[in-house]
Parts: sequence; structure tokens; C-alpha cells
Amino acid sequence: MRVYQFRHIRARGSVALGRYDRVVSVERLQGLLQREFPDAKQLEVVDRTGGGDHFQVTVATPAFDGLSLVDQHKRVYNALAGPLADGTIHELRISTKGTT
Amino acid sequence: MSYSDKIKDVITESDVALFMKGTPQFVMCGNSDRALNALRRAGAPVTAVDILPDPSIRQDLSVLSGWPTIPQVFVKGELIGGADIVEELERTGELERTLAEKLGDGYRDSRTESVVQL
Repeated sequence: MRVYQFRHIRARGSVALGRYDRVVSVERLQGLLQREFPDAKQLEVVDRTGGGDHFQVTVATPAFDGLSLVDQHKRVYNALAGPLADGTIHELRISTKGTT
Repeated sequence: MSYSDKIKDVITESDVALFMKGTPQFVMCGNSDRALNALRRAGAPVTAVDILPDPSIRQDLSVLSGWPTIPQVFVKGELIGGADIVEELERTGELERTLAEKLGDGYRDSRTESVVQL
């Protein structure tokens, strides 16, 4: 069982985010990516700064086989369109590859 | 007012177009800095456009390119990606290969860096 702590920390900028919010952000992104790439061999979301808004996303899936890097990244952007639009994601770093 | 036509002009007329936050002299974002520096290390003749003066620039650009974030790098009219892809292409040597292929082997000679205001 995961224990959520509600101890608030000062995030980058002036927005205070609790640990709970940050875990929710990572899990939300993971859920969206899993739905978009159910066959992924690797699927990782890392909160880069601990602030709940700078993420590193790594996806390796056969769905990327034969696609250019631009098209691979566009697929990731499409999967995360919601949190990109609503401000959950302030900065997103993407690393993608196919499986061949 | 739409910036689409002006953006299209920059993309099609520049060897390497970089849409960024700030200018090469005063970069306003870490990712724009990453893309700019990868292009500089590869010797690319960069034409930079600051998207910050008007939010419409970014909106119109993303509609055109299908790419939601800044920076965006175009070589001879074709989107090659944002900071992550440009850095990855630099690591694999593909950035310089692409530049040589599309701009000619002597592309490093021009050594130009310019800023265009829309």
C-alpha cells in the first residue's frame, strides 16, 4: 500500500504542491500513456524536479517501428494532450524508440 | 491578425529555422537553449524567431506544424523536432548528416545566426 504524505513543500515558482498531487500527476500520465501504447515494452514517467510539473517520459513500443522521431513524439504529445493543455505539464522531455 | 503566412515564409525560406522563447542573445527557456546550442555545435546557420512577443505566434505555429511545444526546429522547410530530438540527432551524428545532405557539405562556412521578427 502506498502511503500518501500531505506534508506540503514549496515547489518551483510560487505554487505549493503536496506529495499526493505529484504522485497523482505521474500516475495520470502513466495511465494515459498505457492506454495509448498498450503494447509498450518500456513506459516510464519521471518527475524530474519533484515539483509535479517537469516530466521525463520514455516509451519503447512496436507502435513506433517505422515512424520518424517526429511522428513518435507526436504520438506521445497526442496521448498527453489533456495534461499539456490544462497546465499539469509545464515541461516535458520525451525519449522514444521502436522495438526493431 | 494571423501569423501563419509569415511563419510559413520563415520556415520555407530559412535553411534552419528555430522557433524559440527569447533570442539567441537572450534565451528565455532551458529547452530553447538546448536546441540552440546543439544547432550551434553542429555549425548550423540558424534563423531564430522569438515566439514570446505575441501568444498568437505560438498558436499559429503549432497549428501549422502539429507540434505543441517550443522550441521547434525546421531544416529546409521540414520539422525535425524539438530540443529532445535535436539533441538525440546530435548524439548519433545524424544532425550533421542531415544538415550536410540538405544544405550541402559546406554548410558550416556561412556561420550565420540571424533573428527574424514576425
